[in-house]
Amino acid sequence: MKRLLALLGALLLAGCATPQNSYDPLEPMNRAVYAVNRDLDKKILLPITRSYVENVPQPVQTGVKNFFGNIDDFFDVFASAAQFKATKAVHSFSRVLVNTTAGLGGVIDWGTDLGMQKSDEDFGQVLGFYGVPSGPYLMVPFYGPVTLRDSAEPIGRYFMGPLDFIQSAAWDVGYYSLWIVDARSEILPLDGLLSTQPDEYAYLRDGYLQRRWNKIHDGYPPYPLPLGEPDDAEGSFDPGPTDVAAPVSDAASAPLADDASSSVSAMPETGGGARFSIGSEEEDGTLEVQ
Amino acid sequence: MKQWLMGLVMGLMSLTALAAVDTPEQITRKVSDDVLAIIKQNEKDPLKVRDMVDARVSPLADYTRMTALAVGRYWKSATPEQQQALTREFRTMLVRTYLSALTVYKNAQVDVKGARPGQSDNEQSVRSEVSLPGQKVIPVDFSFQKGNSGWKVYDISVDGISFIVNNRNQFGAVIRKDGVDGLIKQLADRNNALKNGTAAK
Repeated sequence: MKRLLALLGALLLAGCATPQNSYDPLEPMNRAVYAVNRDLDKKILLPITRSYVENVPQPVQTGVKNFFGNIDDFFDVFASAAQFKATKAVHSFSRVLVNTTAGLGGVIDWGTDLGMQKSDEDFGQVLGFYGVPSGPYLMVPFYGPVTLRDSAEPIGRYFMGPLDFIQSAAWDVGYYSLWIVDARSEILPLDGLLSTQPDEYAYLRDGYLQRRWNKIHDGYPPYPLPLGEPDDAEGSFDPGPTDVAAPVSDAASAPLADDASSSVSAMPETGGGARFSIGSEEEDGTLEVQ
Repeated sequence: MKQWLMGLVMGLMSLTALAAVDTPEQITRKVSDDVLAIIKQNEKDPLKVRDMVDARVSPLADYTRMTALAVGRYWKSATPEQQQALTREFRTMLVRTYLSALTVYKNAQVDVKGARPGQSDNEQSVRSEVSLPGQKVIPVDFSFQKGNSGWKVYDISVDGISFIVNNRNQFGAVIRKDGVDGLIKQLADRNNALKNGTAAK
């Protein structure tokens, strides 16, 4: 046990020594877990999911998707309300009401046809709304990527499941198996993308973190998430527009380089989230791993 | 003769005026309409969709800047030949991975929400929302810049995930280990493996 702790400590230290991404202090451990997860996925989950997608009739698949989507909507009501997003909460609540009753327990999605929009709030976003930083990025065995903050979602769901009144091991097994396969089928298109990356792990991590950062800010982050090395943030390598007619040193590109470092404070107002020139040290500090 | 010349000049002027009027938002609308039409007409043939969409969008993309931003600070240490090779392979990678997977979106709707000003007058970002029936809306942002040949895209964010930012860490790691040529080789190898659109799976 002592030896295990020492090993864990060493891994942690090793992780801190070379942070490729400031949100991923546990990178060596995460990478090891990812390798195991991916292996299990390729050997077990992926073949099952492919066979599910290919063989199960489309209406059944849609029904399953709607069923779990209805449960998502249920949690969305609370997550939206906790962030004072009244419109979203009302839409999600109406969806649950209509789909659970007329939609036969969520299998049929009448709500969308009735103009009730599906939203995408979760308990991780609630914490983010109240200023909780993301914390370290974690690769959870058998689960996947999550940040410490965003683990509020699966944990919260586990403790307040709407179907907990069903006390049956067979139900649980069936429910979670189908849920996993359905969730996996939604990200099947990503497999091709991931497998072509030089570093699958880093690609997935940086994508996950950016996506969460974007969701926490409802699609308009004040500045892009600072990933990677600090000097990546300066944008000094930005050549500006590279039209054939315009040499790189063209005057048109000069203002861009200046802007990158100076106009950070103006960004929240202009909403210039698409640029990747990153904030000052103080701003970064609020996001640091706690 | 004079009248004819006059007519020609007028015609040309109105043409250039038209071209100048096209804002990033209008470009995004037109292109997304065209791309959806291409997908609908060829939904059984991902490779054809890929090539047709590539032909439609490539005049509107600044692949060189996109690549420079994705490669990050190592870009400047690369020779012009290496930069060209990187741009070529990165572009091929984008085309082969993203554009060959487009047939999934045959029933998609693209809702262009509007443009926001960027860092300078020469930059704008256009927000659009892509939705499939009954599924969550996915925001897609196009970052435009104005160069000598008009507005061009230098970055695309899907659900907040930027092409250029998402590649920078992994490209940096490869360059630190194997150098710029190592990255070119890795991209080229993967592109060759993808030649026949297997990534569409």
